[in-house]
Amino acid sequence: MDNISIKVENLEKTFGEGESRVEVIKGASFEVNKGELVALIAPSGAGKSTLLMMIGCVLEPTSGKIWLGEELVYDKKWLTKDARKIRREKLGFIFQAHYLIPFLNVLDNVSLLPLTSSEKEEVVRDRSKDILRFLGLGEKFNAKPSELSGGQNQRVAIARALANQPQIILADEPTAALDIERAHSVVKMLKEVTKTQGVSIIMVTHDERLLGYCDKILKIVAGKVETSHVTEGEVV
Amino acid sequence: MINLAYKDIQHTFSKFVITAMGVGMLLGIVLIMIGVYRGMVEDAKVLLNDVNADVWVVQQYTLGPFAESSRLYQDLQDSIKVIEGVDKAAALTFQGMQLFDKQGHAVRVYTVGYDPRGDFQIIPDSALIEGRVLRESHYEMVVTDKTGFALGEKIKVGRNIFTVVGITQGTVSSGGDPIVYVSLKDAQIMQFSYSNPRIRNDRARGLESKDSQLVNVVVATLKPGYAADQVAQKMERWKHLTVYSQAEQIQILSKNVIERSSKQIGLFTLILVLVSSIIIGLIIYTMTLEKIKEISIMKLIGIPNFLITKMIIQETILLGLIAFVFGNLFAQLIYSNFPKRVLLEWPDSFTLLAVIIVTSFLSSLIGVYKVLKADPAQAIGG
Ligand SMILES: Nc1ncnc2c1ncn2[C@@H]1O[C@H](COP(=O)(O)OP(=O)(O)O)[C@@H](O)[C@H]1O
Ligand SMILES: [Mg+2]
Repeated sequence: MDNISIKVENLEKTFGEGESRVEVIKGASFEVNKGELVALIAPSGAGKSTLLMMIGCVLEPTSGKIWLGEELVYDKKWLTKDARKIRREKLGFIFQAHYLIPFLNVLDNVSLLPLTSSEKEEVVRDRSKDILRFLGLGEKFNAKPSELSGGQNQRVAIARALANQPQIILADEPTAALDIERAHSVVKMLKEVTKTQGVSIIMVTHDERLLGYCDKILKIVAGKVETSHVTEGEVV
Repeated sequence: MINLAYKDIQHTFSKFVITAMGVGMLLGIVLIMIGVYRGMVEDAKVLLNDVNADVWVVQQYTLGPFAESSRLYQDLQDSIKVIEGVDKAAALTFQGMQLFDKQGHAVRVYTVGYDPRGDFQIIPDSALIEGRVLRESHYEMVVTDKTGFALGEKIKVGRNIFTVVGITQGTVSSGGDPIVYVSLKDAQIMQFSYSNPRIRNDRARGLESKDSQLVNVVVATLKPGYAADQVAQKMERWKHLTVYSQAEQIQILSKNVIERSSKQIGLFTLILVLVSSIIIGLIIYTMTLEKIKEISIMKLIGIPNFLITKMIIQETILLGLIAFVFGNLFAQLIYSNFPKRVLLEWPDSFTLLAVIIVTSFLSSLIGVYKVLKADPAQAIGG
């Protein structure tokens, strides 16, 4: 259990009632280890985002269990009143669009969340700058999102997801809006983050060319999750 | 900590300021409305205070001379003067009229007739800004500057031509119309004399008109040691008149002349304040809706609610404050262009400020409600 960062057991999610009832996830079980970069793949509409949002404590499952690290957070119901606190302390999010706050500059976008913690402002600012430099944005602290390219903004979004030092990053199609070169460089960065910081990342992707970077592949098939391992950059 | 309201406003500064200016104009109008009311109350008392009599003698059972019409014989002035305790007495006429300027435009005025050689000098020195007060008993006129007439200008009234010999400032009737002063004799001709055919007609009927001996009120001051009530009682008993003290006269004015108008203006002001609040509320609502995506994202990544609601509340109150400043500027800029007196007073302004702070806080709650309701799961949809 020590090495496990996400564990999901018999997770189910149905939307709607009666006629319009849709069972999207029908008993998914899987584990993600610390420091792993995991790909989540399935055709569109299969429930990738739904699964990710349940792990992210944003969407309430219908039944099952979710552990984040050691903590059992969901067991037929949320075990915490403040799901946002879990998100704030354990999770980082990256989406297809960068969703940066347009009126904040790059540095403020990245430091906003950790600044709400009890950490010293200086410490947060310094760490945020380090992360931005690491992602090649050392010159852009004061730029607004509107002044940056799509790839740069996506890297800022990654920096934001990292800034509060989460154990887990949930990335929903983070490269879908990027060209293939930038997609490769973004995934390389995510890979590096998992190795250097011990963060676990679940990344939804449609692009098979990116699977080589991943340690593990989760595939949604008929509402259940199949796990396959990747060795030496080869999909098994 | 990052102040989100500050950053957001900085980002959309000109839009924010223009919005605040718009709301400010609305608040400016609210201030003007209150100023109109204050001006009206102030105006109502100007003439009363200028005359500055202790007692006002009017036709029996009337609320004259301002709230109801009143007619007395001019010679009453002499019998009043000999009543014990009376110091000075004067007969006066008051009459709303229309004069014409050189271009032939109508000018609404309120004509006050008094005897230039009488006991009362009812044009206060402090009000006279040019020329002199009336001296002759005919065809002279002192006008309020707002009438637009110039010193020396000739003004035709009926068959007679008057010359402007003096100009006053701030002298208005209880209704706010600018005053022109003429001699009592001229005023009586204007108010009470009939055309020649009418006089001939009346004579044929055996009626002899004595109307030109009429006035509207006789005012008097008292000698020291005499109380207005007592002297008034004496006059009423002997002469079949109604007599008011200065204080009663002010009361009559505020009851009969000001009260209804003030209700009218009060209601209007209330509606304006309400409309302004609704508009502020709508602005905040749209400002929040515009940011709802960012707000959902902030909620999703784990930003606590209070940080987001603080942004909304601060922005709303700042909007209110800037609008308030613009409102005052706007009101100060335009108030002197109004034909009647507009009296802008700081206490009113600060009351409005308090109202704005409360209403903008309340309207910000609409935004806060939107924030609390925003679903983080919706943030990444679409
Ligand atoms: N709020 C919702 N209400 C009803 N159905 C939903 C809702 N969210 C998602 N779904 C349905 O769940 C299924 C999975 O959606 P999603 O997780 O977004 O798929 P993916 O991310 O794999 O493309 C879809 O059929 C979608 O229509
Ligand atoms: Mg999806």
